[in-house]
Amino acid sequence: MSEVPTIRVVDVHKRFGSLEVLKGVSFEVHRGNVVSMIGASGSGKSTLLRCINHLETPTTGDIFIEGESLCFRGDAAGSRAPRPLSEINRMRRDLGTVFQQFNLWPHMTVLGNVIEAPNRVRGLSRKAAAQLGGECLARVHLEDKALEYPARLSGGQQQRVAIARALAMQPKVMLFDEPTSSLDPELTDEVLGVMRELAADGTTMIVVTHEMGFAREVSDRVMFLHNGLIEEEGPPDQMFGAPKSERFRQFIAKYLY
Amino acid sequence: MGNWQRLVWNQRDALFSGLVVTVEICLIAFACAIVGGLLLCLIRMYVRPLRPVAIVLIEFFRATPILVQLLWVNYAWPALFGWPDTFFTAAWVALALQSSGYLAETFRGGIEAIPRGHREAAYSVGMRPMLVFRRIILPQVALSTAPSIVNQFTVIVKSSTLVSVITVQDLMFESQRIVNIWYEPIEMLTATAAIYIIIVFLVSTAGKALSDMLRRRFGIAAA
Ligand SMILES: Nc1ncnc2c1ncn2[C@@H]1O[C@H](COP(=O)(O)OP(=O)(O)OP(=O)(O)O)[C@@H](O)[C@H]1O
Ligand SMILES: [Mg+2]
Repeated sequence: MSEVPTIRVVDVHKRFGSLEVLKGVSFEVHRGNVVSMIGASGSGKSTLLRCINHLETPTTGDIFIEGESLCFRGDAAGSRAPRPLSEINRMRRDLGTVFQQFNLWPHMTVLGNVIEAPNRVRGLSRKAAAQLGGECLARVHLEDKALEYPARLSGGQQQRVAIARALAMQPKVMLFDEPTSSLDPELTDEVLGVMRELAADGTTMIVVTHEMGFAREVSDRVMFLHNGLIEEEGPPDQMFGAPKSERFRQFIAKYLY
Repeated sequence: MGNWQRLVWNQRDALFSGLVVTVEICLIAFACAIVGGLLLCLIRMYVRPLRPVAIVLIEFFRATPILVQLLWVNYAWPALFGWPDTFFTAAWVALALQSSGYLAETFRGGIEAIPRGHREAAYSVGMRPMLVFRRIILPQVALSTAPSIVNQFTVIVKSSTLVSVITVQDLMFESQRIVNIWYEPIEMLTATAAIYIIIVFLVSTAGKALSDMLRRRFGIAAA
């Protein structure tokens, strides 16, 4: 395949002090693919996502977004300098992130949350941004909540607004970090439903999740992270149908009941 | 009632001019305290090399009694810095200093109470740090600390009664002056107390209404 991967993670290590959380992770995500990342608590899933959108700087290794290095600015001579924050900010626009805790800005309306970055970062007029924002809210089925404040919405609705806010930057890839983990069980379906629709529309996604059903049905590929390494990966049918590693077998056994 | 008429009502012009001075001093001090408090807070939190300076100033302003502060600004500053040049200025500067120390800590509390995720969500849509501060942090701090800020105004009003010691002709000064004409303090002091109570009551009621409104609208708890 000659196509440049949307995301290419190359041998990323991350240590916090003496604790090495990521121990050399490499993988690629191609356009339109959905990759689910699963693994026990503390295995480094969030840290890996945070490295991809550069909320954490990898200790070593690099991430390429459509072939462009996120961590370094290379010149023709081949020397590499750390990429300045201004350029990282530009590259971050291509990465939509959805957090476990929603992280909506409570002082802005739903629409205000969604259009903030298109308006202030991409420089769309408020009118154009509002138009775009309305479309994004429609994708998460919340057009009618545009003028509410986040505190008045249910957790599931807040998370869908957070998805719309990320979509509004028209990112090349969406990163989800346990988007349903802080929701009541009856609210997870509405969020997973929206994510299924995004996947069906061809959105490129990396999803950290404990929802095995979602991982199995929606993803093109599943990665099992263990102690900072990708222990096993493959298409979901193969992963869940015929797990190879003992650790992954034990891990999914907990979810079968 | 004759006494009240003679001792209070007939003195209303003097009381009113005192009241105007009190309100002026308090408003100027309040505005400066907000700006000064925010500056001190930002320096303390984000300007590493100046951090110890900000901490010392904040603690100094908070720890010194207002009377000491007032005398210090009034008598020491002109010698040290050649300013302030009027008692009126010295009065609001001293009040502003003290409140800026308190407000700096209020603002810091407000900033630190904002979940880190709000910032990270902003960074991850590509917002620059200055933009994040202006659009995400500052408005939330303003909302969450608004009730405390309003409360600080009542502190300024009460502290302002001391400016008469440096001969600023505020409400308290006028009241004392009138008392000293006839040596009949009961009515005058009662009336003066009533005026301060009304001001403080109005301000704190407004503050409470404001915080209720904010909570209803944004679901933001007061700092
Ligand atoms: N900023 C940090 N400083 C120090 N240690 C950290 C930091 N962030 C994460 N860690 C540690 O890194 C390890 C991996 O954390 P991470 O959040 O990536 O795990 P996770 O796989 O997302 O777990 P969970 O399923 O609980 O979200 C944990 O041991 C955590 O304590
Ligand atoms: Mg996590």
